[in-house]
This record gives sequence, C-alpha cells and structure tokens, in this order.
Amino acid sequence: MFRKVSIAIGALLLVGLLAVGGCQLTQLNASQPSDTTKWEQIEEQTPAVVVDKKAVIDGGKFNKFFPQASGYERVYTQEKDGFAEAKLKQDGNTLAMLSVSDTASNPNAIVKYQNSDRTLAGYPLAEVGSTATSLLVAERLQVKVLSRDTDFTPADREAWLEKFDLTGLAKLVN
Amino acid sequence: MSKSIYELVNQLPQKNLTVFSLRSLDKVLPGEWENLVGFENTIRQVTGESDAALIEQIGARAIQLYNDKSEGYQRAMWLYQTIDSTGRALGQAALASKVTENVPFLSIINRLTPKPEKAQTIDLCMKLVTEIVAFCKINGIPGDSVGDFVKALGDYSGESLVRMVALVCFDGLVPLGPNFIKQTETVLGNLTPKDLDSNPAFKAIKDAVPGGKTADQLTFIGASFESVKGWMGDFVESKGITPQSVVANLKTFVDVADDKMDYFGAFLDISTNYYEHTGVQTLARRLVERAVAEI
Repeated sequence: MFRKVSIAIGALLLVGLLAVGGCQLTQLNASQPSDTTKWEQIEEQTPAVVVDKKAVIDGGKFNKFFPQASGYERVYTQEKDGFAEAKLKQDGNTLAMLSVSDTASNPNAIVKYQNSDRTLAGYPLAEVGSTATSLLVAERLQVKVLSRDTDFTPADREAWLEKFDLTGLAKLVN
Repeated sequence: MSKSIYELVNQLPQKNLTVFSLRSLDKVLPGEWENLVGFENTIRQVTGESDAALIEQIGARAIQLYNDKSEGYQRAMWLYQTIDSTGRALGQAALASKVTENVPFLSIINRLTPKPEKAQTIDLCMKLVTEIVAFCKINGIPGDSVGDFVKALGDYSGESLVRMVALVCFDGLVPLGPNFIKQTETVLGNLTPKDLDSNPAFKAIKDAVPGGKTADQLTFIGASFESVKGWMGDFVESKGITPQSVVANLKTFVDVADDKMDYFGAFLDISTNYYEHTGVQTLARRLVERAVAEI
C-alpha cells in the first residue's frame, strides 16, 4: 500500500486536500459519557472477528459497480477488505452514504434478510432503523444506502439501490 | 492492552486547552467543528439513529473492527497519539531546561523555549506525513482512479479539517511566522538523512513512514510537503490568516504578547494534543460509518 501512496503523493495528489467543505455542524452540548461499563459488557459479548481474510472480496472490486448520475457527486470515502463506501453529494451537501460490503466478514448481517419478505430488483430487501435500506445480492454482498439528509427518503434510497450495477456485483460472487 | 475505542472516545475532554485552542479556529472555519465526545453520542450523531438496540449493534461492530489489528485502525491511533506525545515531550524538555537556568517567569510563556527552526520544521512535516499515513490506514485508498483519491482527500471536513488548519496555524504560522511555507521548503532542501535520524518526531514514527531507508523517507516527506503546500498557502491567503490573528483568537484564554509568538508555539506544543484529540474523533466517525453500513 505504501508504494501506492508514495506514487500518489509524488503525483501531487494532495493539492485538493482540505478544500473547505460546506459542512454545517451545530454546536452540541455533549453529555459526559458514563457508558463505558455498558460498552465493556457489549465488547465481552462480541466475539473477535474470525474470518479468513483471503476469502473476503477486496473492497476495491466493488467500486466500479457504484451508481453515478448527472447533477450528483460521488466521493469514495473508504476502501477496506470486503468494504467500499462513497458519499453521494449534491451542491456540496451530503445526501447519503452508498456502500457495498461482503457479509463473509460479518455473517450476522444476513439474518435480517431471512426475516424479510420484501424484494427489489429480485434481491431481498431490508430496512433497518430510520436511515438504512439494503439489498442482499447473490446471497452474500450487502448493498446499502444510508440517508444523511432528512429530505433523502426511503423511496430515494430504494431508487439509488437500483442504480447500482447489481448484476455486475452478483458476478463477483458467482 | 491499549485502550478500546469506546474508552478513547468516552475519555475525550469537553474542556481543556486543546479544546479551547481548536475552538479558537472557529473564526477561520465557522461552525466546522463540534467537540463530539462519548461513544454512544458519536454513533447517534454520525448515523442519525436513536434506537438503543440498533446503536448497540453498530457500536459492537465498530469495537470488533477496531480490535482487529489487521484492519489498521489501531496503527492509525498509535500514529496520532505518538506524534502528539513527541511534541509534548520535546516541549516539556525545553521547559525543564529553561527552568534550570533560573529564568524569571511572569507567566508560563516566559518559561518556554521556542524550538529551533529546523526541529519545528521537521515536526510540521512529520505531522503532515502522519496525517497521510493515518488517512490510508483508516480509509484505505478509496476509489479506482487518481481523481477519486484526490476527491477523497479533498473531502476533509469537521474534525479532520480542523486538525489540518490547526497544523497550519499552531505548527506553521505561530512558531515559524508568515513565511513558514518558504522556510520549510528551505530547511527541507538542506536536510540530510542524518538530520532526520536525529529528530525525535521522525524517530518515533519512522517505522510507519513510507520508504524504508531514511533517504527514501526524506524524499517521501519532501513530496508530501510539496503536494500540500499549495493548499496551505491558498488557505492562509484566502482566509487572511496571520500569526497575529491566530494568537488574537487564542487570547480569550491565554494572555500572550505579540512579540512572544515563537514562545507561544512552544506553549501550544506542550499544552495541547490536538492531533490525538481530533484523531480519536476521526477514527470513531469512520469506524461508525463503516459499522452501520456492514451490520
């Protein structure tokens, strides 16, 4: 990876570093956290990751199947083993996070699809919490859209899920 | 064992010199940074979710990812912590040596010794290199093209952006003056691998700096600075920032005379850990973003 980084740096890739984003965060009065004990218990109950990393699909292979549309900006934000994520932006505002993950690295993720009777584009669909809608492609790859703007509705999430190249993703598995 | 991610986030101070100094940058970056502390609070803010069971599920996955050393998150944390503790040790050593010389002090500023220009310049560059390497440890190298990677880097906001602006202001402008970019270039141009090997900041993170041999690492450091200096210069110019304006914004909590600018740099060096503080926040945010997408 360092070699890749070196090349990147040599090519003056950081010119655009730190362009001021239009992020408008409000000042919050964060409460003094007193939940360390709770998280200790959760940590104890959470098994360490026992996954054959070689069997997990490289996150970089997911990139080309992400959707793109005129009027929107797609900014890739993370690329790790079995995971790739991009921000969906418009006029500088982040509307949603788009992601693909290989459930081989987190098999529990599949359970929610087994309990779901909804499908989209032929794949099982799950809605979790108030911000996430996802599909399970080829019984293994989780494609997820997370709202990051109140105007980005569940219907928008489903529309963007369909814009992924789901067939292409499925071929990575089969 | 090193601290878990929830401990690190829960233990972030709400008020200390680091937080005050970062808040002072609000004049330059209005509304950009909030001091987000607390693990659960972070999950709520980043995801916008409020269901307790879901938050615990997201947190559990984030903890699991952080604890897996092969994911690189712990290495990034180590980098943020190490580069800051190096600065603090250096600053405290400078403070101690001044005290033994019996220099009279009216305030803490008078007990400080500015770092030699060369050491300060290397510190600035090492913090920049830390940022680049930590970015890659946390996020990988996103996207398929050079343009994608540039976009990913250019998407800095919140605590990541404030960290870089603090670097420009507190480790560039204040200790080195308005010509800090030119000065850094000059020092870097004359720097030898031997100089680098004797620098505490470099020694502390040498293993993590791309290159292998010191000479190659020096090339990487030079290229890193070269690539970011344009942004730094543009930022300073577009915002009209001067060492005096940075200090003026800090004066609400520390009384400092304008002619003691370099002393003030040393003061910030020993009394703040803004890299570690905002580094914990960046790491937590990215872990949560990944966790909520993977569960």
